[in-house]
Amino acid sequence: MPLSWLVLIILALAAAGYFIGRIRVLKLAGGEIRALHSLPIYYGTNVALSVAVPALAVLLVWLLAQPTLIERTITGMITPEMIPDGSNLNLVMSDVRRVADGLNTAISSGAMPVAEVDAMDATVVDVRAKLGALGVALGQDVRPEVLAAAKSYRSAAVTGNALRAFVVLALALVGFVVSMSKTKPDFRARNVVERAVLAFLMGAASLAILTTVGIVLSMLFETINFFGLHDWRDFFFGTTWAPNFRGDSELSILPLLWGTLYISFIALLVAVPVGLFAAIYLSEYAGPKTRAIAKPLLEILAGIPTIVYGLFALLTVGPLLVNMFGQSGSLGLGWMSGATSVLTAGVVMGIMLIPFVSSLSDDIINAVPQTMRDGSLGLGATPSETIRQVVIPAALPGIVGAILLAASRAIGETMIVVMGAGAIAKFSANPFESMTTITTRIVSQLTGDGDFASPETLVAFALGLSLFVLTLGLNVLALYIVRKYREQYE
Amino acid sequence: MYDTEKLGTDVNQTNTKISARNVQVYYGDTHAIKDVNVDIDAKSVTAFIGPSGCGKSTFLRCINRMNDTIDVCRVKGDITIDGEDIYDKRVDPVQLRAKVGMVFQKPNPFPKSIYDNIAYGPRIHGLAKNKADLDEIVEKSLRRGAIWNEVKDRLHAPGTGLSGGQQQRLCIARAVATEPEVLLMDEPCSALDPIATAQVEELIDELRDQFSVVIVTHSMQQAARVSQKTAFFHLGNLVEYGDTSQIFTTPKDERTESYITGRIG
Repeated sequence: MPLSWLVLIILALAAAGYFIGRIRVLKLAGGEIRALHSLPIYYGTNVALSVAVPALAVLLVWLLAQPTLIERTITGMITPEMIPDGSNLNLVMSDVRRVADGLNTAISSGAMPVAEVDAMDATVVDVRAKLGALGVALGQDVRPEVLAAAKSYRSAAVTGNALRAFVVLALALVGFVVSMSKTKPDFRARNVVERAVLAFLMGAASLAILTTVGIVLSMLFETINFFGLHDWRDFFFGTTWAPNFRGDSELSILPLLWGTLYISFIALLVAVPVGLFAAIYLSEYAGPKTRAIAKPLLEILAGIPTIVYGLFALLTVGPLLVNMFGQSGSLGLGWMSGATSVLTAGVVMGIMLIPFVSSLSDDIINAVPQTMRDGSLGLGATPSETIRQVVIPAALPGIVGAILLAASRAIGETMIVVMGAGAIAKFSANPFESMTTITTRIVSQLTGDGDFASPETLVAFALGLSLFVLTLGLNVLALYIVRKYREQYE
Repeated sequence: MYDTEKLGTDVNQTNTKISARNVQVYYGDTHAIKDVNVDIDAKSVTAFIGPSGCGKSTFLRCINRMNDTIDVCRVKGDITIDGEDIYDKRVDPVQLRAKVGMVFQKPNPFPKSIYDNIAYGPRIHGLAKNKADLDEIVEKSLRRGAIWNEVKDRLHAPGTGLSGGQQQRLCIARAVATEPEVLLMDEPCSALDPIATAQVEELIDELRDQFSVVIVTHSMQQAARVSQKTAFFHLGNLVEYGDTSQIFTTPKDERTESYITGRIG
């Protein structure tokens, strides 16, 4: 039975169970809702959940477990002598899977009856030509042992699927019968449903956390692979970034880290004053009407995709800066030769971060109690004295937290630096030169056509993990500061 | 207590500090204060009493133009201090507030040291010529706030670390540090326990020597204890104004009597 049918049947059964459960409990109570412990919908939901949840859970586990089990059995059938020279077990197994798929296609399209497939002998029949005629292309002639393995693979899968359908449906029916027998007016269906809701919500929360763990682990394993191929001392303490394909690449994070931090620093130099002053204006001076218009407008900036900022950097800000600082620029300084530079990327990234800084600071400034302002104004301080001497000092820890959060976004930002910063890794303090960042290098190392198992590709994971650790550290620090501050006024 | 205070009021009877004529206050469309006329004496304590929402705090905030900081609030009529109209266009509300200090319902020390809390006003208004001068102002203000002995050894500890009653006395000391002529107090004891309340009340009685104090209070006992004159507000109207002893013993208006005896409120 196909998977989709199985799922549909279970869901239909659950839906039916919902209505039957409701009707049954009402009937048992003589139509009197007050005689029930819970509302009728809870009894219906309980039946539906009892039908669907165990059945679907088992189905899910089965779907995950069956391929692994079959794979392991078939792998056991292939002895080392069966693997041709220049090949390996994985390649043979993928052949087996392809042939098995081909046989399945042949059967389901009706080209070959099941009996013919079972009787097929690779020494007699040209399996490749036969399957090729059905649209299943195979790379080479099928050897007898591969065909044999494919046949067992196929039959194990067919048996497994049948068994799966049986077990799952049986479970659904058992759930239906058991929950129906429990459906009586004094059964505490509401409590059961509440627990199910709790379990569902906890599942969602743990899924999010597990995903994070999974991401970190996958990065960690590839990073370990990388350090198996490349000296970690060169990665952390080297001074040159020069990947090549001769096998003696110098892959050091330091020049990239320098570029990242330099660009982020310039971005913060733009974003923090502008964002903070905008926040002060909006929260302390602007009237409700101005605020209602200006705040959403500012937040639109946050909704612009970063690739658009990248275009803006490449096509507008870069040429503008060249016109000012370039050879024939208006200032006649000749400092800047190309549109891509640290300054270009930094300024545009700063613009991107303005709404981030301003909306966080705005929240924090608003959290400073009004009584502080009243106290200061009541002493004859002007609004700006009040802000400078009372509001900002009170909000300072929160503002520092906001700046750190913005910094961690700047460090992780990719598209703007890919388009605006250039691709040369170097140590330089000149903001008019192009430089590159960790994120840019990750993109270019992974999107090339290099061998995936080479250090030049795997370095991307080590870079990614370093970046992750860096931004995680900043975020934790920022959240710690923000939280510590929040406690003061609650 | 009454007898001595009554003597004091008699002496100052003719000495009007603040005078309000036909004051109206609107919050948007709400008419919060209706036609209030009142003369407040210098160097005495005047209490505003009345049920919640009757407008006594609103009127208090008119006296130092704190209502200007609320967008929807409009004030009409005349309020004069020493004969000068404080709502005149030439009056700078910032300067006015230096002259008319205010203490709020909840103690609101700034998140700074005790010293910096007191020095805040004098620094803003340039009252101290040098550090020694400022030290002197701080000490004098803390003494006037009756809190010097408790904090003299920890002037650089944060003001937020004090107890509620100490914080409120710190705020009073902060308000007197700018040498105001009038001190407005908006329910200064409502967040304090009885012991702290007693200390603050005692302090208010001492402050009367130098300042004209106007206090809004919910507690009629407090009004009776600390004030020489009492004004009763009800639904935005000033119902009755007179000597405290007269208001509490022989109120002329029957609404005042009902409120004092606990029938409305």
